[in-house]
Amino acid sequence: MISVFLLQWQRLRRAPILVLSFLGLTILFVSVLAGFGGPNSQFTIYTYGDPTLEEENRDKWLDRLNEEGNLTFHWVEESEAVEAVTSRSAGMALKLMNDDYQILIAVQDPSSVMIENYVYQVFSEELRLQEVASHVNADEFYSNLDKVMSDPTMKVTTESLSGEESSYAFDERLHFLFGMTLFFSIYTMMYSLMNVAEEKRVGTWDRLIVSPLYKWQVYTGHLLYSFLIGMIQIVVAFLFFQVVFGFDLGERYGTLLLVIGCFAFAIVSLGMLVMGLVKRSQQMQAVIPILATAMAMLGGAYWPIEVVSNEIMLALSKGMPIYYGLDALKGAAIYNMGMPELLQPISIMLLFGVVCMGIGINLMERRA
Amino acid sequence: MLETEELKKVFKGKPAVDGVNLYMDEGESVGLLGPNGAGKSTTISMISSLIKPTSGDVKLKGQSVLKDPGIIRNVLGVVPQEIALYEELTAYENLKFFGRIYGLKGKELDLKIQEVLEIVGLRDRQKDIVKTYSGGMQRRINMAAAMLHEPELLIMDEPTVGIDPQSRTHILDTVRHLNQEKGLTVLYTSHYMEEVERLCDRVYIMDHGQVIASGTKDELKSILSGEETILIDLDRPYPALVTDLQSHEGIRQALETTKGLKLIVPKGSKLLGSIFQIAERHQAQILNVNVQVPTLEDVFLHLTGRKLRD
Repeated sequence: MISVFLLQWQRLRRAPILVLSFLGLTILFVSVLAGFGGPNSQFTIYTYGDPTLEEENRDKWLDRLNEEGNLTFHWVEESEAVEAVTSRSAGMALKLMNDDYQILIAVQDPSSVMIENYVYQVFSEELRLQEVASHVNADEFYSNLDKVMSDPTMKVTTESLSGEESSYAFDERLHFLFGMTLFFSIYTMMYSLMNVAEEKRVGTWDRLIVSPLYKWQVYTGHLLYSFLIGMIQIVVAFLFFQVVFGFDLGERYGTLLLVIGCFAFAIVSLGMLVMGLVKRSQQMQAVIPILATAMAMLGGAYWPIEVVSNEIMLALSKGMPIYYGLDALKGAAIYNMGMPELLQPISIMLLFGVVCMGIGINLMERRA
Repeated sequence: MLETEELKKVFKGKPAVDGVNLYMDEGESVGLLGPNGAGKSTTISMISSLIKPTSGDVKLKGQSVLKDPGIIRNVLGVVPQEIALYEELTAYENLKFFGRIYGLKGKELDLKIQEVLEIVGLRDRQKDIVKTYSGGMQRRINMAAAMLHEPELLIMDEPTVGIDPQSRTHILDTVRHLNQEKGLTVLYTSHYMEEVERLCDRVYIMDHGQVIASGTKDELKSILSGEETILIDLDRPYPALVTDLQSHEGIRQALETTKGLKLIVPKGSKLLGSIFQIAERHQAQILNVNVQVPTLEDVFLHLTGRKLRD
């Protein structure tokens, strides 16, 4: 087994391009999507006005909206805003009216949801106050309001399990890091498993089978290599982004490693199942990209599964190991969850792996 | 040393090997002869424990290989038909890996590697990547990988397919040396008759999954002891002449060859005179005439011709 395992590393040393390219793609994609943005990304929203919008109201709304430090509502002409959204140089634009607003949006993403919520919150709060002020002495009302707000009777604080304010802890940067890394690791693991199919094609497999080695030793040597190369790729990508870009992966490194291991096991097993189902290595080459992309899309690697509302898509996502991998990685890194809380996704990945491995090896042996 | 008992393998309802019985004594060189699809590779796959027979058994020194494949795997070396090597690695790295799986290590392994590289004549190219080798050199390394652990039994499945004459001669000489000087038992399959004739003490001829003849080379040739072969070289093809000769009552077989004609006639039939007359009638220009004693190829043609084509 050790000989077969070491041989795969020797072969990798001679032909490292494939594995290095997938690691490179992971770094490239995560860097572009999340790495350069920095932990506190600034969003600039092009803002323009309705012809009826009064100058006084415009200034008032802009002041209120710009109170949030991470968001900048930048005043432009309508044509410029529309052009920016149409050409996708801006994801969205805000149209202000005297007592209402409209959002012009090109692509719905997690940041646009966040901005929409913020604008809605500002407008509903301000209009509610205006409504009350219209029935009383406005100056007196606003003066009392400032006084009360500076020393409230009751202060409500919302805290998450991690002790931080606000229960919504979506971290776009970590999402892209986890999603893209797991996605590209699928390619590496499955393509490395193709060594088995290749050995069967060229005849070295038969040579090993008629040697004193047991068949399980030959399989284990290959599977262990694919498993480890996948794990190493994921760990290297995580470390790179933590060290170079300052991504905060939390402190539960042991749990993260365990989750990565379970995910790698599930993918290697899935690879064995695919190899058992296809007849030739060329078919496997065609199936891998389709499978990896479909799993990543359905499992929430490209966008958070929370933005998906379609029931069928949500049901399908539950059959993807990447869904549980992302869930467990986010749980450990963002919510500081330990083993007991992550038992469910970890168990599902292990179960998935055991079932796929069993069926896959059975199919391959039956064909042999 | 080794025997098969009614060995049978059925693929999708069709028998690839159908009741093959063969035996090999220690130090013997046995040939398995047959055309493509005769069942030679399937037979050796069952003997080497690579595939399980549908029925029958393989016995090594009286013990069933079917019950315990381990007994043959430790003493067996297999040279497969394909180049079963890791082409991105060097010859040395390939041999090191195959040596390790047979439990060789350290200086002993290194010594063995140099020994087999010397035998196959590629010691000076051992650090080269296998895919840079010629087909013949790859086949020689393919063979070296099977000899590292000093097997008692070497099974070679058409080891000279598609290689240059120099490498072919080298491989044949090596097999001969290993068998005659070192007493290695060899099972050699091929569809090149002259290779089997040159290397093997006894021969099994297979066709359609069955052994259709077996024995020493002389025993097999005695099947044709009543016949002789006349080879006639002509300046160009004469199809009408072949037809005429085929209908001649004294000629058993008349075949067109690349150079001219091949005739199988009863021994001492003194037909040359009438053959020349027929050739003259067709205005055929005879360039050369050669009367041969039967070869294994003639035996094979005779056997399969009678069984398949008549």
